[in-house]
Amino acid sequence: MLEPGPQELYYFMGNESLPITDTLIVSWILLILLVLVSRWITSNMSLKPGKAQNIAELIVSTIEDQIEDMLPGEGRNLLPFIATIFVYIGFSNLVVLLPGVPSPSTDLNLTLGLAAVVFMVSHYYGMKEKGILGYAKGFAEPVIFMLPINVVSELAKPISHSFRLFGNMVGASIILGLIYMAAPWMIPVPLHAWFDLFVGVIQAFIYGMIAIVYISVAKD
Amino acid sequence: MVEFSTEVVNTIVSAAALLGAGFAMIAGIGPGIGQGFAAGKAVESVARDPEARGNIITTMLLGQAVAESTGIYSLVIALYLIFVVFGV
Repeated sequence: MLEPGPQELYYFMGNESLPITDTLIVSWILLILLVLVSRWITSNMSLKPGKAQNIAELIVSTIEDQIEDMLPGEGRNLLPFIATIFVYIGFSNLVVLLPGVPSPSTDLNLTLGLAAVVFMVSHYYGMKEKGILGYAKGFAEPVIFMLPINVVSELAKPISHSFRLFGNMVGASIILGLIYMAAPWMIPVPLHAWFDLFVGVIQAFIYGMIAIVYISVAKD
Repeated sequence: MVEFSTEVVNTIVSAAALLGAGFAMIAGIGPGIGQGFAAGKAVESVARDPEARGNIITTMLLGQAVAESTGIYSLVIALYLIFVVFGV
């Protein structure tokens, strides 16, 4: 019952090697809902924003300011990428507030996949800034003996990036599961506010911020 | 040499896995001290310069998230020991 990770619910065309997990279902529903809601919010934008448009503008401008702080001049370019990560992770952390819905971010496949995307984007930006040879030379700085250490520390980045989100969300879900066993009434309510609302939003914010940091480190 | 039955060996491995999970979480001390230190310094900075509150909080959260990773590694190892090794 407390076991973390994805549950295999169905099999794709009866094939045992292609399981359809709860992560897959929840994240696809979440993606479709996010796209539909975003289109609905931005369909009739006005200069006097309503409530929904206000919230959307707040999220967009906050993220753009954060990117501009660390990567001057890249705010507009990177906004879609970072904002997608932030909104998607944020909502997949918050979805556990609906009873019976598992959080997709307690699945290492999701966090590691997103971290791999961030990893590739950061290297792409590094190569765009300095050229492929110039970027490769950066790993042999200051002396050539540092090359293996630099490569290992580069490979450790997506691992620590993904395990941070995974560990936080799985730890929270296990603690909440233990508390539900001990005290199923009233007591879990404030703990849900802490573990799901606060930790979920903070972790989504940190995931996006660290993506920006990795890109800015690769650039210089 | 003494031969143990599979049952005995599995019991010993399960007990050692749970004990190891407990020991792994001693690593929780490190991030606790580190994050507390970062938060304390951030409070000092906000007291000195309340204008820069937003920037300081962002930097503090980022530093705490990085300081947390060792604790998260130990948590993942503990989870591995409990849910993968113990279940065998």
